[in-house]
Amino acid sequence: MHRAIATLLLVCAPLPAAAQGVLRGSVRDKYGAAIGGASIAIPGTTLSTRTNLQGVYRIAVVPAGRVRVHAAALGYGPVDTAVALTGGDSTTLDFTLRSAPLELPPLDVVSTKVARFGDRPATSVVQIPERDIDQRAVNTVDEAVDKAAGIQMLNGQINIRGSTGYIQGLNSRVLLLVDGVPMNQGDRGGINWDLLPVDQIERVDILKGAGSSLYGSAALGGVVNLATRDVPQGVHVRVRLTGGAYGNPPEEVWRFRDGTGLQGGGDISGSYGTTTFGGRLAAGARHSDGYREQDDGDHWQIAGRARWQASSRTRVDMSSAWAVDHYDAPLAWCRQGKCDDRGQAFQPFKVATASLGSWTDSRKGYVAVQARTVVSDRFAWQARGSWFRTSFFDQRPPNGSEFGIANRFGAELRAEAHPDSMRTVLVGSEMTLSDVTSDIFGNHSQSEYAAYGESDQAVGVFRFTAGARIDFLAVDGGSLSAVVSPRLGGTVPTDHKGGVLRASIGRGFRAPTVAERFVHTFFEGLEVIPNPNLGPETAWSLELGHTTAPLLHVLRLDAALFWTEGRELIEPRLIVDTTGPKIQLQNVTRARIAGIDASVLAAPIPDRLIAALSYTYLNTRRQVAGDPSATGPLAFRPKHLLTLSGDYSFGAFGLGADFRYASRVERIELEGFVDARRVPVKVLDLRAGWKQGPVELRLLAANVLNYMYNLVPQTLAPVRTVTLTAVWSH
Amino acid sequence: MLRSLFRITVVGLVAAGVAGACDGGLDPEPICARSLVGLCGTVRFRGAAPANTENVFIAAYLAFPQSCTDLINNRRPVIPGSVPFTDSIAPYSVPLLPGAYHWVLAVWKKPGALTLTPADTQYLRVAGYYRDSVDSTQPGVVTVPSGAGAAPGDIDFVVNFDSLRPATDFVTCTAQ
Repeated sequence: MHRAIATLLLVCAPLPAAAQGVLRGSVRDKYGAAIGGASIAIPGTTLSTRTNLQGVYRIAVVPAGRVRVHAAALGYGPVDTAVALTGGDSTTLDFTLRSAPLELPPLDVVSTKVARFGDRPATSVVQIPERDIDQRAVNTVDEAVDKAAGIQMLNGQINIRGSTGYIQGLNSRVLLLVDGVPMNQGDRGGINWDLLPVDQIERVDILKGAGSSLYGSAALGGVVNLATRDVPQGVHVRVRLTGGAYGNPPEEVWRFRDGTGLQGGGDISGSYGTTTFGGRLAAGARHSDGYREQDDGDHWQIAGRARWQASSRTRVDMSSAWAVDHYDAPLAWCRQGKCDDRGQAFQPFKVATASLGSWTDSRKGYVAVQARTVVSDRFAWQARGSWFRTSFFDQRPPNGSEFGIANRFGAELRAEAHPDSMRTVLVGSEMTLSDVTSDIFGNHSQSEYAAYGESDQAVGVFRFTAGARIDFLAVDGGSLSAVVSPRLGGTVPTDHKGGVLRASIGRGFRAPTVAERFVHTFFEGLEVIPNPNLGPETAWSLELGHTTAPLLHVLRLDAALFWTEGRELIEPRLIVDTTGPKIQLQNVTRARIAGIDASVLAAPIPDRLIAALSYTYLNTRRQVAGDPSATGPLAFRPKHLLTLSGDYSFGAFGLGADFRYASRVERIELEGFVDARRVPVKVLDLRAGWKQGPVELRLLAANVLNYMYNLVPQTLAPVRTVTLTAVWSH
Repeated sequence: MLRSLFRITVVGLVAAGVAGACDGGLDPEPICARSLVGLCGTVRFRGAAPANTENVFIAAYLAFPQSCTDLINNRRPVIPGSVPFTDSIAPYSVPLLPGAYHWVLAVWKKPGALTLTPADTQYLRVAGYYRDSVDSTQPGVVTVPSGAGAAPGDIDFVVNFDSLRPATDFVTCTAQ
């Protein structure tokens, strides 16, 4: 016992100043060009940083002596080297990285909450770097996420390996983080993809599979982390303008307006930073005529970020955003007789005449503050507090209106320790409080209190991760119920060139949202009644995956087998009582989701051509308690999902294409009550870009073949949209 | 060699994607489309539509309803469609599951939210029904075959706005 306490004190104690030095230097490519955003880390410690736009880095308080330093950047091969530091002195270490387009992303934070450099996680992680976001010239974050391997967006709801399915406006089995701070809505649990301007996103990290052992509720199917741009030193300005047009309906009988729908917008951001302080303010607006009848939308946003290096050991970050959306609501396409149907059984571009005049006002914003103190190279702690507020007002003629206001307050304290170079320990506690005021959800509050811990240990070539989290949930101040979420994982290299075998098993859960428990409204004339007794849904996720080393210098393969066993999943059920049929959300579904997630990355012409092919096969089954006839596949899960993308660059120019195929979903919810028409997804996007100095132009033709499809019932997916984006950075 | 193979593979995949994306999407569907599984035809209107007319829709029953509860619970489709009633004649179609439907009728509705309970009958009136070709006083039976391309067309009605009939003329209802 005394020895354990002594060890802890030793780990936590700051190093004496005399035993420290400063490590500084630069990271460049073979032509001498600066590489900004490169990761520099001293493996097995709390010490790491990233290069600035000039490719320069600095790490203070490095223990004197011989230390190993790891440098890596996206698209470049990593470098590991050793350097001897003298206490109280400054040592310069410059890196030259070679181009290596098949290298995996150098930094992973989402899988363990601790920055990992070079070590591959035990669970599948997909990263969408800034380069991909820029190339795709998208306007919202969900458009960027939609192209990632194994991911499908269904009308704004994200499915990672088929986790979520689709329930209009309610819940998500995926947790959204902004710089590590949870941002699912406090009332409905859904995700506001338009919370942040896409121009402020530096990287999107996606953890596939259960992540509740670290992140708690909602991380049942995965976690998406939006990493926002840091504030660089000096003065920087960035202006982004977009403009575009929607394709007209491909059939004359579907025409609904004489002109062409347009969209456009602009963002501007400015920042100033020194080594101690930095701040950025961004503002933007956009308007869209929409591609359907009653589809106009306006969006305004403002976002800010600030950093303060309070001391050589402590850094404080603050970020915030506020976005307002006012949009018409094309609730469902028009069916025969509900509008001027022109003799058609349905009019996918039109809405029912009775629904004309529907609109939504949606507002969302957050403030988050995080502080991290590196006590020593062995120990660091981090604290954060956040407030996320959402509100909506739906005008729905002829039935009236609905509104909801939700506040989600969060706090977290965690400690990261590296007792030795082979081991990392993370412990923390988290608290979330959501309060809701709504005419359809009522006035309620929900709180979650959690404690978690995880240890990562290298044993020879093996690396093991084990952790668990316990969450206590309470509704309206009632009694607490507990959920335990353990996770085990491991990796082992399969060769000396970067091949890794990974395996993990974990339990995820999602607490029912206030909206799911207390919603009282009408859907297609049916009354939706509350169910205050809803319990958490849980799932065990198992994964076995392999990432190969580069094959023949041009290919890298990744494949994973996954298996999820869901229990008590919440699904809408049609119930009939003495007053007629009603819809109620119930913990009734037991589900199995198994499949294969495979991807190939190819770079046959180095620095010129890069292509990626990913394929996901989903096999889903469900059993509904009390209803033996309710079997078959889960709703809204396509069996086959394929994405093919390629980018060719020559000088300042670049060309690219993305093709997405998803097979026709076998089952939808409430079949018989909604228009069940559905087709496979076959969408081709083409893009071109030019970049010269501070100016960048991007042309995107999304759904260039103007393929008509729907992802959810009675909702036409976006038609051909051509967008030109111009960016000027200084 | 490897680059050539790669290029051929990529071009082949893109070409297959483009070719595949040229069809299979949503297409216009006339009211009496061959792909319809259900029934379709025309509705002829007689008389003047009441000022409080909200909707006219087509409903079908596999068996003739014996009670007001049957009238509400067994109606197909569950969520009613709509037939334009401003002209003297209008085409209609109703997607239905295959089977023999023993009562196919046009329903008039006045303003009010349907709750799928017997209380709905206060908003509804029988406006006309498909009649047996031999005995026109009796409802005609219509069979919807399984599979697309065989939807029975020419299931025509006459709706007489001057003789809308309450549900109690046909079944026992407590609410009307």
